[in-house]
Amino acid sequence: MQKTFWNIYKTFFKIGALLLGGGYVILPMLQSEISEKKGWATTDEIIEYYALSQSLPGVIAANISIFVGQKLLGIRGAIAAITGVITPAFLAIILIANILSELVTKHSVHSIFSGVAVGVVVLVILTIKEMWNKSVTDKFTTFIFIAAMILGFVKVSPVWIIIGSILIGIINRIKNPKEAE
Amino acid sequence: MIYIRLILEYFKIGLFSFGGGYATLPFLYHISENFHWFSTKQLSDMIAVSSITPGPVGVNVATYSGYTTGGIFGALLATFTLILPSLIIVVIVAKLLAKFRENKYVKAAIYALKPAGCGLLAAVAIQLFRENISQIWAYILFFGLIIMSVKVKKNPLVYLGLSALVGLSLGLLKFI
Repeated sequence: MQKTFWNIYKTFFKIGALLLGGGYVILPMLQSEISEKKGWATTDEIIEYYALSQSLPGVIAANISIFVGQKLLGIRGAIAAITGVITPAFLAIILIANILSELVTKHSVHSIFSGVAVGVVVLVILTIKEMWNKSVTDKFTTFIFIAAMILGFVKVSPVWIIIGSILIGIINRIKNPKEAE
Repeated sequence: MIYIRLILEYFKIGLFSFGGGYATLPFLYHISENFHWFSTKQLSDMIAVSSITPGPVGVNVATYSGYTTGGIFGALLATFTLILPSLIIVVIVAKLLAKFRENKYVKAAIYALKPAGCGLLAAVAIQLFRENISQIWAYILFFGLIIMSVKVKKNPLVYLGLSALVGLSLGLLKFI
């Protein structure tokens, strides 16, 4: 599939439509649609964009979509990706806005959500497994992984964790000029 | 002028909410208390519903609160201005990254950045697990899907569809 504005929009529209249970599913969706099916970006690049997206302001799923779109077709690609990913969200909310309070009290809505929430956890874990294979390769990266996990768990802001890891990476490179190649 | 207020408030959220997920929510509660565009009850309803509507929670709540404030036009404005800071900042960062990718220090930074991103996601996974998997049926569904993942290629649609179906069926049978 060619990387045209319209194709990027359509692909991200599909991803946006399936973005259930919060934005976390964006990673497995990008891996499946962008990296495996279309070959538009490598899993490695997507992991990198994800990490960067966490340290920048804004909604993570939006940030990572803009990163991928920008890579595919410059600013036009970024606009195609971000509008594509939020169009389904926008339409869905406009449709349900007037019946919101009834929807919340519906038992079936709750049970669907409880089910989807479990699916989201599984998808996130499967994504971590793939990210792990690509990014945790030695003692140094294992250390960073564990430190980031613990600090993230105790609610240290992701911004500091990402900035910290960047600094440690650079210091490590200066201290061991060969190791980090 | 309500539209200008909308633009200002949502641009501010887009610019200052770090960390994703529910990072936009404190700002929205602040708006609710100060401008009364929507009640906190409406806000928490919206957060609950946004887990079954497509899209990130932050975007969903922005669209909804824009809609309650200024109709469809308000919804468009709120959604767009929430995203705008991201668009500007990410495009700049992506360009800088492309320019300096071969630099050895940038390489070293990315090399350390990736496991940190992975570790942060692991922390999210632990939190999501504790929030969403407590009952026996959820454990069974969870391990069922994990076992399935060994055999079935990871297609997110299959996992989400299957778990929605299980949730709905259990709900209809009054299990949950």
